[in-house]
Amino acid sequence: MASTQVLKTRIRSVKNTKQITKAMQLVAASKMRRAQDATKATAPYTEAARELLQNLAKLNSVTRHPLFKTRPIGSRLLIVIASDKGLAGAYNSNILKSYIEELKRDDSAKVKNLTIAVGRKAAQFVARLKDTTVLGVYEELPDRPDADELRAILDSARNAFIAGRVDAVDVIYTEFISSLNQKTKVLRVLPAGFNAVELTGITEEVTYEPSTDEVLDGVASRLVSAQIFQALLDARASEHSMRMIAMKNATDNASDLVDDLTLEMNKARQGAITQELAEISGGVEALNE
Amino acid sequence: MNLKLITLLGVKLDTEVYELLIPTAAGEIGVFPGHEPLVSLAVPGVIAVRYKKGDSDDKQEFFAISGGVVEVSQTHVRILVDEAETGDDIVEAESKAALERALKLRAEAKNQVELDKAHQLVDRHTVRLKVADLHRRHRRP
Repeated sequence: MASTQVLKTRIRSVKNTKQITKAMQLVAASKMRRAQDATKATAPYTEAARELLQNLAKLNSVTRHPLFKTRPIGSRLLIVIASDKGLAGAYNSNILKSYIEELKRDDSAKVKNLTIAVGRKAAQFVARLKDTTVLGVYEELPDRPDADELRAILDSARNAFIAGRVDAVDVIYTEFISSLNQKTKVLRVLPAGFNAVELTGITEEVTYEPSTDEVLDGVASRLVSAQIFQALLDARASEHSMRMIAMKNATDNASDLVDDLTLEMNKARQGAITQELAEISGGVEALNE
Repeated sequence: MNLKLITLLGVKLDTEVYELLIPTAAGEIGVFPGHEPLVSLAVPGVIAVRYKKGDSDDKQEFFAISGGVVEVSQTHVRILVDEAETGDDIVEAESKAALERALKLRAEAKNQVELDKAHQLVDRHTVRLKVADLHRRHRRP
């Protein structure tokens, strides 16, 4: 049985760890709430945007527009959204697992693959890979990315698509369903209007001002960027909630460990006392003889 | 007709309105119920909303918007913009200071990217000041 002193030290160190994980849990919880509000607030915009894109995709002149052009897929750009920091449970490994699956699929279909990595964990991962071309790496995006940061990602994706370097652009991110439920998702953002949605908008004859081409141009880039923006926000909210849960589990485990160790320490202490008493009474016996 | 003003930060307005003035790439347009279906690009500017027929001018409400998309049908208007603010959201002194900063940025811009950004900022704060001004004038007792 370990000595009381050793056990005491261990208990103290586990308690320290518990304090840290507890603090991280609380921080993640408050960040999650904020990220959750942000992603919920943007949802109506994204939904309306997707609907509008779908309506536009039915226009004849759309096929002429470079952002809507559907081509046979010979190369594909993947935008992988992971986190900068670890300790978020399975968050990063889930994302990277589904990224690997997509890579394998591309490989078996003889599709060339390009990648944009968002978040340090994704960046470190793609740096080790050989079967993809890295188009860009973005680290340390703020919780609420603004238009400038988004534009950099959007521009490189759009330019690659228009120039014909890639024939499709997919975003791999973690969809935020609730604080206990998140799902890895692969979303096609280009060619625009690819994802089918329920139509509730207008379908009758519509006028486009100043001209169809100009409207298409403005609408398409704006709406594609809204989808990427939503993906970023969702990913962020998922990251924080997964971290919160991971840290809650860590805190609970630390509590259990402290309980076990305390029990063991008390046993050890009691054992030591009993032994000491036995020795004393043994000594007294010996003197009496 | 129903107006939905949707921003990246949430639904700003979802209500029945009678008249709308929207700044678009093809000039300012007025929208009344029964307007022909239209999709257009909104440019940074001021949206004026009249909620009921016969409302006087001082009951109009103004929104400063950034660029976006306008979708009009017979019974619905949907406006998607990055940002929309009412006179109540805008602090005039802050906007004035921000406009001055933006003008300075524009004067000192070294490359096209900085210049574009400065132009956007100038536009944005000019519009906000305009809304704040309209708000003040129309709401005076």
